[in-house]
Amino acid sequence: MNARAGSALWLLKHEIRMFFFNAGFGAKNKVGRRGIGKGSAALWIAVFVTIHVLAFALLSKIGGAGAAPPHTLVMGLSGLFAAAFSLMMSSGLRASVDVLFERGDLDLLLSSPLSSRGIFSVRLAGIVVGIAGIYLFFLAPFANAGLVLGQYRFLGIYPVVIGAAAIAAALSMLLTLGLVRLLDVRRTRVVAQVVGALSGAMFFLLSQAYGNAAGSARQQVAHWFAPMLEPGAALGPDSVIWLPGHAVLGAPRPILALSMIALAIFILTVRSTHRFFVHGVQQAVSLVRVARAPAGGQGYWFGRSLAQVVVVKEWRLIARDPQLISQVLLQLLYIVPLGVLLLTKGGERLPGIGAALTFLCGSLTAALAWVIISAEDAPDLLRAAPCGMRTIRRAKLAAVAMPAPALMALPLLWILTRNPLAALTLCATVAGSVTTSALITMWCGRPAIRGEFKARGKGSFLSNALEMLNGFAWSGLAYLLLTASTARQQSTWLLPGAAGLTLIAGTIMLFGYLSRSRDD
Amino acid sequence: MYPLGGANMNNDAPAALKLTALSKHFGRPAVDGLDLTVQQGELYALLGPNGAGKTTTLRMVAGLLAPDAGSVEIFGIDLAANPAGAKQKIAYLPDEPMLYAKLKPTEYLEFVAGLWGIEAADAEPRARRLLDWLDLSRHAHELTEGFSRGMKQKLALAGALIHEPQLLILDEPLTGLDAAAARQVKDLLLEHVRGGGTVVLTTHILEVAERLAQRIGIIEHGRLIAQGTLDELRSQTDGGTLEDVFLQLTGQP
Repeated sequence: MNARAGSALWLLKHEIRMFFFNAGFGAKNKVGRRGIGKGSAALWIAVFVTIHVLAFALLSKIGGAGAAPPHTLVMGLSGLFAAAFSLMMSSGLRASVDVLFERGDLDLLLSSPLSSRGIFSVRLAGIVVGIAGIYLFFLAPFANAGLVLGQYRFLGIYPVVIGAAAIAAALSMLLTLGLVRLLDVRRTRVVAQVVGALSGAMFFLLSQAYGNAAGSARQQVAHWFAPMLEPGAALGPDSVIWLPGHAVLGAPRPILALSMIALAIFILTVRSTHRFFVHGVQQAVSLVRVARAPAGGQGYWFGRSLAQVVVVKEWRLIARDPQLISQVLLQLLYIVPLGVLLLTKGGERLPGIGAALTFLCGSLTAALAWVIISAEDAPDLLRAAPCGMRTIRRAKLAAVAMPAPALMALPLLWILTRNPLAALTLCATVAGSVTTSALITMWCGRPAIRGEFKARGKGSFLSNALEMLNGFAWSGLAYLLLTASTARQQSTWLLPGAAGLTLIAGTIMLFGYLSRSRDD
Repeated sequence: MYPLGGANMNNDAPAALKLTALSKHFGRPAVDGLDLTVQQGELYALLGPNGAGKTTTLRMVAGLLAPDAGSVEIFGIDLAANPAGAKQKIAYLPDEPMLYAKLKPTEYLEFVAGLWGIEAADAEPRARRLLDWLDLSRHAHELTEGFSRGMKQKLALAGALIHEPQLLILDEPLTGLDAAAARQVKDLLLEHVRGGGTVVLTTHILEVAERLAQRIGIIEHGRLIAQGTLDELRSQTDGGTLEDVFLQLTGQP
């Protein structure tokens, strides 16, 4: 369908295309073309058809639609709705920061003859479509199968998903604008990223915490909630909190309520966004805040050695980039359940935890190596200097390798007090993982731009593949060696397995070394 | 006026810069057998249309690109044989300043001084003098990311001068500078040459070359098609301004 140039539909198509480009679909391939290839399109269609078939089979088996759904089902679906909504908020925050402050095309659009309210409506609608699209891909087949089978209540999936996406997109945009007023664009980007990641990871962390909790703790939680779930209580069967569950199952009033809320918040958000930009609030909050001059004048610290100036420079650059720090540290978010496990069930699960810690240290180091080595801001300055690149590279490797052991010091000391052999083993595997990760990135990484940290996976396939394999090899080795050091009876396969993984890790290093760029 | 270091002119001294049959190909020849000599104490402007090979030449002189053939000598030191010795004498300032957004000017100068191995006793007074002279001292506590284009260019210049180079290599040094900053940079270049230093620059602003340069070289398709003083170039053509001379020599309407 060809929309008239300059119409709302035409602009919406542009927005949706940009959302999918930004989400990584249709990323530029080697010959500089964009768009999904024929093979990928065929795969997506095949998956979509398969979900339809599965949905049809499942709904045929469930049968009649007349009976009222059990309340436990409504509760379960409401819980799933909440989980999906938190993920939608996560996507919405990322998309809001992108479309309002990063894409940089608002001045172009607002200077065109298009209506400014229309532009913001379409911009928000673009986010809604982008968010809802992925959920509808997996859930719409159930609605379609329901339609064929005469189970019309499943058609509620469409308004529920679109309504939830609209609420999530609108709340995300309002939250983004509020944060920009309070902080500034740069800090908002960091906060949106952290809030988005936390809301996305919240259910994983909660489920991990619940799954790992002792039986008595779970009973205590159930006991605490039981009175609230009684009929007439705050969370009883008639509570509005279960409305999403009823809406998912096709109840007309909850669907209508959800749709009205979505519409109202959508309109409110468009008006706020319009006011924010057109009345120049953006300019007022975008002014660069200049730091106050120190009282005694700016201090100088000349005379450091070359290695020292390189390490200090690298850590200054990282320490002053909260967005980069948050991106790197969010990778470690999933370490929290491991810490809980270590403290509660340290003895029995030490090999698994040690393997995970080894992997995480390697992955943290690889991320820092990308920042410090591949994403050097002024490579020409370093090459134009009369000092040896070898010294600079060594100093950079030192800066890369420092944080992981620092983060590991506390868990290692804790393990050392309980099982010194295991602590030494873990120390060795972490050191191996950290060193090899840094070297692989140095040898195989390609020059990059620091601001593109999130997209670094697309940069160098070889470097990423070797890093991943290397991480698995070292964490596997940690698992086997820690099992050997903690088990009462030795299995015959442990040492040959460890020898095999050592060989694999060595081969990966050799491959990385042989694939290094020529000037290394 | 900023007091600059630099070598005194000496007829027996080796050329500040000597390029011999310098070549670089990127699928097509970017620099094609270029021979060029710049004497000590000279301000030499290298002109040419876009894509003529000016920046590639300067990058090879700065040691950022290895030539496919030919040699670069800086004050008699072969760049390929003794890169550290040759680089110690030069400073390279590209049109896009080589800065770190998250460093303060003082920290940037500390880093550059560390790269060139300058002793603290020499580096600190030089840094203070340079920042004062370039009017950056009152911004010394701010991150470079908030600087205007002109301030960034001036800070990069301070970085280039912290080791008191004898040969300054500048690629479009006046791009994006306001009138006051441009005047400051031009004064600095003239002062550097008066003190015995040498400057090689490229520019698209022909009036700058006309007013500052003692000799002008015109490069096209990676080859030097003409060089000399402005009067010598005029005598090879129908005369007129440098713009007329340049357009005639490069065969542009």
